[in-house]
Amino acid sequence: MCSIAAPEVFGSDELGHATVLIVGDLPVELHAKTRRAQANCPEDAIIIEE
Amino acid sequence: MTTLEENAGPVNDPTTDFNIFDPEFVRDPYPTMEEIRESQCPIAHSGRWGGSWFPTRYDDVVAIAQEHDIFTSRDIIVVPRSAAAAEGPYAGVAAPPITSDPPDHHWHRRLILPVFAPQAVAKYEQSTRDLCNQLIDKFIAKGEADAGTDYAQQIPVRVIATMLGVPTEMADEFTGWVRGVLEVGLTDPKVRLESRLKILKFFQAQLDDRKKNPRENDLITDLLNSGDKYPVTDQYVLGVCNLMLVAGIDTTWSAIGSSLWHLAQHPEHREQLRANPDLWPTAIEELLRAYSPVTMARIVDRDTEFQGCPMKAGDRILMSFPAANRDPRQFEQPDEVILDREHNRHVAFGSGIHRCAGSNLARLELRVSLQVWLERIPEFSLIDPAAVTWAGGQVHGPRVCRVRF
Repeated sequence: MCSIAAPEVFGSDELGHATVLIVGDLPVELHAKTRRAQANCPEDAIIIEE
Repeated sequence: MTTLEENAGPVNDPTTDFNIFDPEFVRDPYPTMEEIRESQCPIAHSGRWGGSWFPTRYDDVVAIAQEHDIFTSRDIIVVPRSAAAAEGPYAGVAAPPITSDPPDHHWHRRLILPVFAPQAVAKYEQSTRDLCNQLIDKFIAKGEADAGTDYAQQIPVRVIATMLGVPTEMADEFTGWVRGVLEVGLTDPKVRLESRLKILKFFQAQLDDRKKNPRENDLITDLLNSGDKYPVTDQYVLGVCNLMLVAGIDTTWSAIGSSLWHLAQHPEHREQLRANPDLWPTAIEELLRAYSPVTMARIVDRDTEFQGCPMKAGDRILMSFPAANRDPRQFEQPDEVILDREHNRHVAFGSGIHRCAGSNLARLELRVSLQVWLERIPEFSLIDPAAVTWAGGQVHGPRVCRVRF
């Protein structure tokens, strides 16, 4: 789900498990998409540190 | 207590006597779900169909899904199996990993995940698009069609057959067998057992063939050859094939059918999707939320109390993902379809360790089938809303759904 909402930030490994593609701080233009991914993660597994 | 006659009769209070196969509930379950959810007993109990609990609130459904140690998946069908199914040929064949509990669940799931990863299912997009176009070619000149039997029903069965490396020409037979297990057979144990045996006999022959003639890039061959990493048996591979056919067809077919049924009645949503293709990702999630097809069962492992309900070892719990997804505590305006819904943590695919392994494939099939339909048939409406027929109980969705365009 997160890789659909924010494909620049989240990918998936060969099992389909989500991975984070960006190391370090997120560019400002990706903040909204990343929040959307967080709000829609079915397992509530995304934590955004600010 | 496994036939329609034994379980018929009016329902006076759904919190103590709900009937998942009541014709009105099958057609439109949401008012009953709401009545239970807002009552003093949001986890209803009924003695019908062998007895079951029915949680209707989002938080309760998610909590039960997370507690897989107490609420096991040793049986996931919404009604008890007949004694005859527990004996005879293939008695030990289940549907791993959905019927597996830890610790085996881990490798049962691990082995099939790679074929369902987003990058792995992407290769089915073009063939699914071609299939949808071919189906529409057959009826577009007529100006009307059955969006259920002529379209929705025809798509997932062929995608799954392709994945399993079995003949797509057998689509109608596969569909009949799956309906026998998940739809007709739930209220007719004889049909259920016969259909199950047909599926397992067919796949046993496929396994025997792959052992003699291994194939390249073939799921069944690859699973049979995974014995070096995991304790793979014929029973496991047979169970995975059983699962992919049974869980991969009726479910997605129902989601496609419900979405077309919705779009047939909502020109403003068709217009929104045409005007703004960026809406597709949230629209797909919203349609999955509002018309979640699947209800799965759990079996209580040991006596426990959950939210004040005294659950006994062996009790059945119906995990109503459709009811959870309409809970106003979790979703604003839950009965409205809002294609750009911002917050949508829906559980159409379940939650926890048994979350649907095929969700990426289901999403792809749903998106492509709706996109192709709207490209070719931008304007359409139901011919007779009252004539639409529905399946329910385990998988909810329209079956006959005639539209004019």
